[in-house]
Amino acid sequence: MLNDTLRQHFDDLVKKHRVVLFMKGNKHFPQCGFSAQVVGILKELAVPFETVNVLSDPAVRDGIKEYSSWPTIPQLYVGGEFLGGCDIVKELHATGELQAKLGVEAKVVAPPKVTIEDGAAKAIKAADEGNGEHLRLEISPQFQYDLYFGPKKAGDVEIVANGVTVLFDAASAAKAEGIRIGWVETADGGAFRIENPNEPPRVKSLDVTELKSWLEQGKKFDLVDVRGEDERKIAKIEAARPLDADGEKHLASLAKNAPIVFQCHHGGRSRAAAERFLREGYTNVYNLEGGIEAWSVKVDSKVARY
Amino acid sequence: MSTENAIKTAILEKIPGANVVVAAGSGGHYTIEVVSPVFAGKGMLESQRLVYGAIAPLMKGNEAPVHAVDKLTTRVP
Repeated sequence: MLNDTLRQHFDDLVKKHRVVLFMKGNKHFPQCGFSAQVVGILKELAVPFETVNVLSDPAVRDGIKEYSSWPTIPQLYVGGEFLGGCDIVKELHATGELQAKLGVEAKVVAPPKVTIEDGAAKAIKAADEGNGEHLRLEISPQFQYDLYFGPKKAGDVEIVANGVTVLFDAASAAKAEGIRIGWVETADGGAFRIENPNEPPRVKSLDVTELKSWLEQGKKFDLVDVRGEDERKIAKIEAARPLDADGEKHLASLAKNAPIVFQCHHGGRSRAAAERFLREGYTNVYNLEGGIEAWSVKVDSKVARY
Repeated sequence: MSTENAIKTAILEKIPGANVVVAAGSGGHYTIEVVSPVFAGKGMLESQRLVYGAIAPLMKGNEAPVHAVDKLTTRVP
């Protein structure tokens, strides 16, 4: 399976480029979560890297596994040396060894300021088994959160808030200044809610029932219907303004942090519009999930479905 | 034999006496923890290679029973 030509090809690749990632997809569109995580780490460290999409050739996909004696993708090579897959890269990143191998200065991270609300502190203390493990909070480069009990590791940054000790690896600590950990009651018990001011703004999802309560509460926000007049004639939410020339003008006059909800038929076109306004610098942008179809089904059956 | 047991058996063949815990996620994803003195003095790469080497036949090809290992932990007792 791994013939001499292919072996030579891999030899050349890892010699030619200092950092090579064999992955599913490419650095702009990773097609698997594990590959995306490693891409995120390399981007965060701002090192130039080459990617090889193993999905484009089954011979490469199988060959690299044999070449590295490693059965999974992604696989990271630095300076011709195989470093490992996603788990190992994450671990090396957290301890600073990856930065050392890549010749990137590992930043000294000051302990972040962390707020733990009473409800969250209570839940954490209840979950603590008293076996010497501490609460760890990992923050991925994509700002996904992993909160769990684990042992203390070298290079950890430790903080105490509301009587709870929290450990961060250095990379996570650098993304945690001002973070707030809360607790929300849900139907199946409860869940942590993490608010992190360091997150880049993203389009937030709004459910139609939430929209209904916003309207009933008289909350101040703009609801924007991105569909054309032809569709608005069939069905519309009364409070929504169209995104015509006047609508664009109105939105341009708003503060960049004004809440704006975008709505369409099923939620696809409105998401695209919301992404556009996000790129233009608006930070408080919502997409009405499911669009007017969901509104009709869940909130107001008098609104026609089409 | 269930895939969990197949994984366990394959690892025990390579690392006799190890304490192996396998948990199945959805869609052929697995979490594996292996505890054995054999990992003493070995780095993470070498340790994981030992385990991956054992289960490689179960991960081969498109129809492989083990699609992905979400988390592999190796520890010394």
